Amino acid sequence: MKSTAFAAILTDAHLWVPVVVLILGIVLLMTLR
Amino acid sequence: MSSGATAADSRSTISLHRLGVFCGLAAAVWLGSAEAPTKLVNEGFSPFLISMGMVMGAFVARWSLPTVIKGTKFLFADLRDKPHLIVWALLGGMLWAVGNTLTIFAVREVGLAIAFPLWNTNSLVGLLWGCLLFKELRGSRPRDWAQVLGGATAIVYGAAVLAVATAERSGGAQHRALVGIVAALGAGVMFGTMYIPYRKAYISGMNPLSLVTIFTFGELVTITVLGLVFYGGAGNLMAELHRARPMLFWPFVGGFCWVIGDLFQQYAAKYIGIGRGIPLSNTNQLWGLAWGALVFAEFDGLSPWGRARIVAGSLIMIAGAISISMAAPPASELENWNAAMHRECARYGLDSVSVAAVVRGDDPLAGLKHQRRWWELLIMLAAFGVFVWLALGTRAQHIAVSLPWMIVLTIGTFIPLVVVGTMLYRRTRFS
Repeated sequence: MKSTAFAAILTDAHLWVPVVVLILGIVLLMTLR
Repeated sequence: MSSGATAADSRSTISLHRLGVFCGLAAAVWLGSAEAPTKLVNEGFSPFLISMGMVMGAFVARWSLPTVIKGTKFLFADLRDKPHLIVWALLGGMLWAVGNTLTIFAVREVGLAIAFPLWNTNSLVGLLWGCLLFKELRGSRPRDWAQVLGGATAIVYGAAVLAVATAERSGGAQHRALVGIVAALGAGVMFGTMYIPYRKAYISGMNPLSLVTIFTFGELVTITVLGLVFYGGAGNLMAELHRARPMLFWPFVGGFCWVIGDLFQQYAAKYIGIGRGIPLSNTNQLWGLAWGALVFAEFDGLSPWGRARIVAGSLIMIAGAISISMAAPPASELENWNAAMHRECARYGLDSVSVAAVVRGDDPLAGLKHQRRWWELLIMLAAFGVFVWLALGTRAQHIAVSLPWMIVLTIGTFIPLVVVGTMLYRRTRFS
């Protein structure tokens, strides 16, 4: 993939919404364990 | 006239909305039926192990089914064409694995009756993301909003009524209510967010069959890491898996069936969006209930009040599904869907003409014959071999089942597979 494609991915809100939710989910899982 | 045009002309003309609705309903049948094999496990194994068994079955299905339907040449070409979506496919699998593990905590702490409706709110979360990120429902009439939002809410409410009614029989234990509720809501958010990768892939013109082949790596790796953490290392995890070996076949079959349901769910998300498609597939609880009540006699001895609540919950769910089915997106909403697609094309340098064709179910490559590769036979043999290996080592589970009802429901499960599968092929060639 070209560097422009990486930049497009990293600046895409569609990426960060699921990433943040995933991190929160993992934190929740570790807290509940 | 070119052969491509001839192939397109011979296709069914069913509307994409109607096709998507049928896919959502077929998904519900298969996702619900996927619970049946896991009911055959009665020896007190950890739900985490059952979940792991399902993920293993899902992994095998997510490779063998796309290989049979499309062939690896098509799948790899599709992935090469939109390599950025590999990130989202992996993210989707990871979200599913974390969400599924949270459901295990939720069921343990508050029982299925409270946990299920809470994580069933995933359809509302999906609806929110669909509206915010992909312009679903934007530009639609107030009547469409009411039908979709009302339908999705009715399905969640119906799920709550059914869950409470079934709890009368199962008597769910409640240990740490707050922990269980938080876990169930967390699972709902995970599952609802998992639909972001689905929708993103489909408005970018990716084939659902390609997405799932990568999705499953995110799923398998995450569930393995979680297993290693929870069991305190590879040795303990392997020992548990070895102990569970005689029952692993059943969750494995469940995972395989789950993938068939999920594939229909993916096509529903593609053709009617996540706001409409996911609530429809969430009616799977009705089918799980049918298996439980008719085949496993789980509700014998239920009070008349409990039975009335089951009927009421089912009717509410059906009403919700009908409401959503009738809310076809108007032209003003479809313009917004189009804008979301063009956003992806501009951002990732995709050919908007070709993507638009795929989005409306007319993938130019779908009708072409793809040369089969020798390793596809190996994939099929490996999948078949795993099934046989697990089946041979399975110990009989002593659970009473109603054979006549099992036959009826099995036939009832295969009918949508054949009918909706044929509709999908005739309209889109599985594009």
